[in-house]
Amino acid sequence: MNVKMTKLLVLPGSAVLNFIAVIILLGLAHTVQSELDDVTTEVYSVEGKVFPPDSYGTSNWQVATRVLVNGGDFVGFLKEDGTFAINNVPSGSYVVEVANPNYAYEPVRVEINSKGKYRARKVNYIQTSQVLQVPYPLKMKPLNRFRYFQVREQWRVTDFLFSPMVLMMVLPLLLIMILPKMMNDPETRKEMEQFNNFKYDMPEVSEVLTSFFTGSEKQKPRALKSNKKRQ
Amino acid sequence: MKYSVTVFVLLTWAFRWSFCIYEDQIGKFDWRQTYIGKLKFAYLDTISTTKKAFVATEENVVAALNLKTGQIVWRHVLEKADQGEIQFMDGDGDDIVTVSGRNIFVVRTWDPHNGFLKSEWTVAQPLIRRLIDIKWFLYQKQLFQVVSVALSDITITAYNISAGTKVSSDLIHAPWMAQDSRCVLAVPYLACLDKVGQEVLLHSFSLTGAGTQTKSLSAFMGEVKTSVTLETVGGSQPVVEVAMVGNSSKHILLLEANGFTLYPHQLPSAAKLYVASYEKSSIVLQALYMEGWLVLSGSTLETGKELSDLAGKLKYPSGLGEGNIAAAVCSPKKDKGKGCRILLVTDDHAIALMSHPGKFVWVREEALASIAAVEILDLPVSDTDAAIEKEFDHKEMDFGVSSGFVGMFVHRLASQILQLRSLVLTILGLGEPPSAGQRAGLVRDEFGLHKMIVVASSAGKVFGIDNLSGEIIWQQRLENVKPYVDQATGKNHAPFFVQRTTRHFPSPAQCALLLRHKVTDEGVLFVFNPITGQPLAESDGLISLGYKVKQSFLLHEGNKESLRGILLLDNEDNLHVYPESAQSVAVAMAATIFIFTADPNSGLLVGYSLALSTKQNLIATRVWEIKLTHGSQRITAVISKSSIEKVHSQGRVLGDRSVLYKYINPNLVAVLTQGFDPVHKQFLNIYLIDVVSGSVIFSISHKRAREPVHIVHSENWLLYSYFSDKSRRTEIVTLELYEGKVQSNTTAFSSVAAPLQPIVDRQAYILPGMIESMKETITEKGITSKHILVALANGAILEIPWVFLDPRRPITVTSEMREEGVIPYMPELPIPSEAIINYNQTVQRVRGIHTTPSGLESTCLVFVYGLDMFYTRVAPSKTFDLLKEDFDHFLITAVLLGLTVTSYITKKLASRKALKQAWK
Repeated sequence: MNVKMTKLLVLPGSAVLNFIAVIILLGLAHTVQSELDDVTTEVYSVEGKVFPPDSYGTSNWQVATRVLVNGGDFVGFLKEDGTFAINNVPSGSYVVEVANPNYAYEPVRVEINSKGKYRARKVNYIQTSQVLQVPYPLKMKPLNRFRYFQVREQWRVTDFLFSPMVLMMVLPLLLIMILPKMMNDPETRKEMEQFNNFKYDMPEVSEVLTSFFTGSEKQKPRALKSNKKRQ
Repeated sequence: MKYSVTVFVLLTWAFRWSFCIYEDQIGKFDWRQTYIGKLKFAYLDTISTTKKAFVATEENVVAALNLKTGQIVWRHVLEKADQGEIQFMDGDGDDIVTVSGRNIFVVRTWDPHNGFLKSEWTVAQPLIRRLIDIKWFLYQKQLFQVVSVALSDITITAYNISAGTKVSSDLIHAPWMAQDSRCVLAVPYLACLDKVGQEVLLHSFSLTGAGTQTKSLSAFMGEVKTSVTLETVGGSQPVVEVAMVGNSSKHILLLEANGFTLYPHQLPSAAKLYVASYEKSSIVLQALYMEGWLVLSGSTLETGKELSDLAGKLKYPSGLGEGNIAAAVCSPKKDKGKGCRILLVTDDHAIALMSHPGKFVWVREEALASIAAVEILDLPVSDTDAAIEKEFDHKEMDFGVSSGFVGMFVHRLASQILQLRSLVLTILGLGEPPSAGQRAGLVRDEFGLHKMIVVASSAGKVFGIDNLSGEIIWQQRLENVKPYVDQATGKNHAPFFVQRTTRHFPSPAQCALLLRHKVTDEGVLFVFNPITGQPLAESDGLISLGYKVKQSFLLHEGNKESLRGILLLDNEDNLHVYPESAQSVAVAMAATIFIFTADPNSGLLVGYSLALSTKQNLIATRVWEIKLTHGSQRITAVISKSSIEKVHSQGRVLGDRSVLYKYINPNLVAVLTQGFDPVHKQFLNIYLIDVVSGSVIFSISHKRAREPVHIVHSENWLLYSYFSDKSRRTEIVTLELYEGKVQSNTTAFSSVAAPLQPIVDRQAYILPGMIESMKETITEKGITSKHILVALANGAILEIPWVFLDPRRPITVTSEMREEGVIPYMPELPIPSEAIINYNQTVQRVRGIHTTPSGLESTCLVFVYGLDMFYTRVAPSKTFDLLKEDFDHFLITAVLLGLTVTSYITKKLASRKALKQAWK
C-alpha cells in the first residue's frame, strides 16, 4: 500500500516521500469513509453565520461577501443578519470559505456523512487527517483586514540627513570649514598634540603581551618616545 | 527541521513579496470593468426612489442596474453552468425572485434595494419532466410552478415566496393538450396551440380559476397551410402573438376568462412587441428595424388607437445588432403626454435603455463578458516619428539623388525644414490637422506601455480597447459568424493572427480572426486594422474560405509587404494560404514547416511535414501518428509555448559554479489526457511531445486527480495544477527540463538531429485555494524572472514568483543549494495578501489571463478576462529599468546645485586666503 501511494507523487528525494507517505497513511481512513459517502444522493444544507467586520466602511457588506464551497461548486449568499444556508450539498467533505474583498476569514472544512451528520474542523492541507473541531453551525469571524498595499516610507529628518547625498554634501563641508580652523586655533593644536601623545602612550596589546612574557617593562615606551623625537 | 524552518523564514523574508503597489497607486496602472452577460430576464422597478432595472442573465448573474446610468448597483454571481442556470426571474415591489438550477431548483428572493438575500429554499424537479415543460410565474406574492405534460395533465403548485411552503397544488386533467402543441405562459393563462387539419385551435387555460376555453382561430386567420407560431408578448397583460410561418404579418390576442379578444390591427411579423401599462390602460409598444433605422410606435391595446406622442424614429447604431424589448415602462412626462423607457437586448448581447421616442440613454456592451480571443498590440508611431520613419524609408531615390550620404543629408534637411514648418504652423494654429490616432492620443509612448487591447467576443463582436483607460475605441459587429468550440475543453475560441504589426510604417497593421459560419460551419476570416477596426478586405472584412478548417497557423516570415501569411489545413488535408501573395514565402519555407493536429475524442495526434511541396502546390504529408488514449480517456488540453517568448539565459549556475543547461525545445507541446477507471478513479496523464519528430519526451500520470486542471508551459518548464481527490486539495506540480552539464548544440535546437532525453526535475506543492486560470508573465527579452499569475476562485489574482515553485527547492539544505539561491522546500505555498495584484477589485469567473511584454524589460502587461475585465501591469523583478515613481527629483537638483555653489564659494574663499597668505 505504501509503495503504491508513494508512486503517485512527483516529489523527488526519499525524505519527502516518507514524509508524505505518512501523511497519506494518516489520511487513508478518512478517504475510505468519503468514498462510501459518494454513493448516496441525499442532499443536505450547510448553515452558518458570517460575522461582520467591526469597522466596515460600506453599509452592505453582505452583498460583497460570498460563501464558497469547494471554490464555487456551491455558493451561499448572506442574509441581512449575516446568516447563510447552502442547499443541495450531497454528503462529502467540503472546504467552506468566506470570500470578502477586504477582510480575511478562516476557511472551515465541513464533513457530512451519509447519515447526515455534520462535522466542522479546521482546514489543514498538509496533515489532512488532523481534526481540530470547530462548532457547527459555522461561525465565521473576520481574522483581519487584508493588507494589499505596501506602506510608503514616511519622510523623516534622520532619513534625510543620513541619506548618502546629504552626507556627501555635509562631510566635505565639515572637512573644509572646520578642520583648517581647528588647525589654526593654538589651543586645539595643543590638545591635538596631547591627544597624539596620549595615543602614543597607549601600549599596544601585542606589546603588552610581549613585555609581559619578556619581563622588560620600561624599555619599550622609552624607545617609542625616542623614536618620536628623532622624527 | 527547526533549523530548516528558520532558514526558510529568513529566506522568505529575503524573497519577500515586495512587488505590490502602494495605496495611492490604486487605479493608476489598473482598471476593472464589471459585466453581467447576455440578458435573459428583466424587470423594471420604477416605484423606489433610485430607479433600477433588475436583470438575470445567461452567465447566471442576478443584478440591479441603475436605470439612469446603466451601472451595476448590486450583483450576485450564482453557481457555474447548469447548476446555477437561471430558469426564472421576476419581481414585485418588495422582492426579486429567482429560480435557478436543474434537478433541484433553488428559489431565492432578494431585497431589491440593497441586494441582500431574503430567503432561499429548494424545489425538487418533478421526475421525468423535461425542463421545457416546467414554467414559473409570480402572481400576487406567490410563486407558481406549472408543469404541463401533453395528453395527460397540468400541475400547478403555488409556493409562498418567503417561506417556501406549498400553498396549494392542483392537478388538472388536460387531455386536450396534443403531443405537438406549443404552449406558452401568458400570466395568468396557459395558452396552447393545436392544429387540426387546416383549422387552428387555441386553448387558453386560466391558472387561477380552473377552466379551459377552446376557440378556433380560423375566423381571422382563414385557412392555414403552413405551421403557426405562438409567442408570449411580454408585459403587464396576458397577450400572445400568433403568426403563420412565411407570412409578413401577425395577430395579437388578449387572453380573457372567456377566450380572447383580437387586437384590431395586424402587425408586421418582424415587429418586436411589448405591452406596457400606463395609468389604467395598456399600451402595445412596437419596434421595427428598417434599414438602419428603428421605428417606434405605440397604441392602446383595447382600441388599437395609435398614440402620436409615442411615435418616433431613430438612427440605429451600426455597432448594435437587432434587439428585442426585454422590458418597458411608460409614465407621464413632465411637460405633456407620455414617455416610455424601453430596455432592449440585442443579438450581440448588448443591453440598452432607450427613452421613447428617440434616444439611447445608455448601452452596456455585455459581449465583453464572453471574450474568446485577446491580443494586445503596439500603437502606431506619432506623426513626427512617422515623418522620420519616412525619411529612412525612401531607400530608392525620390529626389533623383542616390541613397548615399549626400542623399541622406538632403533628406535630413528636407524633413527638418518640413518639421520646422509644421511646428510654426501648429503654433499659429494653421497647420494640417493631426491624424485621427494622434488626436485621440493613440500613439506609441516611449516605454511601450500604451497599447491597444483587441478582443473578440463569442457574441460575434470585435472591440479595440485602450489599455490605459479601458475605454472602447472601436467595435465591429460581424454577422453570421460564431467562434470555434474547443472540442477538448468546450470553451469558445477564435484563432487570432497578427499578420503585420504597427512597426512596418507606412503599411497599416493587419490582423485576422478565424471564425466559422453560423450555418455551414465553414471557415471565415475577418481581416482588419487592429488600431482603427477598419476592415481591410472586401467591404466588411469577412472572407469566406469555403472549407472547414482543421488547423491554422501563422508563417514565421512575411512577404514583400511584411505581411505574414496564414496557413490553413482543411478537413481533406489540403493546404491553403491567405493571402495568396504569401504562397511563395510558404513554398520557400516548406522544408522546415511541420504541422500537427490532435483529435480529443480519438486521442490521435498526427504530425505533417510540408517537405514534399512543389513550387505550385503545398502538400502536407503525414509523418507520424500517436494514439495517446484508449477507453474512456480524452485529450483535454494541448498546450504549446508562447511563440513570442525569448529565453535569455541558456542555463542555470549551480552552487559549484558549473552550469546546468536548460532543455529549450520550441517544438515541445504538453498534452493532457483525462479518464476514469474503477481502480484509480479519475486520473490524468501528461505527455511532453516533440511535435516535429513525434517523439514522447516525457510522461507522467496522476491517480485520483481531477478538474480543474490548468497548465502553463514556458521556457524549459511545465507547471500544472489539479485537484487531488485523495487529499482534497489543489496541487501544483512543476517540471523542469535540463540537457545536463553540456549543451548538445549551442547555436540552435534541432528536434530531428538530437533525440535527447532531458533530465527532469519535479516537485509538487499545495495551493490553499481553487484555481480558475493560470498564466506566466512574459517580458520583451526574457531577462526578467518569470512569475505565475493565478486567478483564484474567490476573485483574487495571485502573483507567485517562480522561486517558490522551483522544482529544485531542496528538502535538506546544503550549502551548495544555498549558493545556488534556492529556498528550502515547504509543501504549502503561501497566499500573502500583498501578492494579490488586483487588491480588493475581485474578478469573477476568470476565463483567461493574457500577458504581453511592454517596451520596458521589467514590465509585463496583464489582462484578465471572464465575466469581468481587469487590466494591470506587473514588474516581476521590480522596475529595475525605471526610476522609482517617488524618486526625489527636487532633492537631487538641490544637492547638485548646492555642490556647485559651494565649490564656487570655496574657490573664491581659497583664492582670497591664498592672497592674504601671500601678503603676510
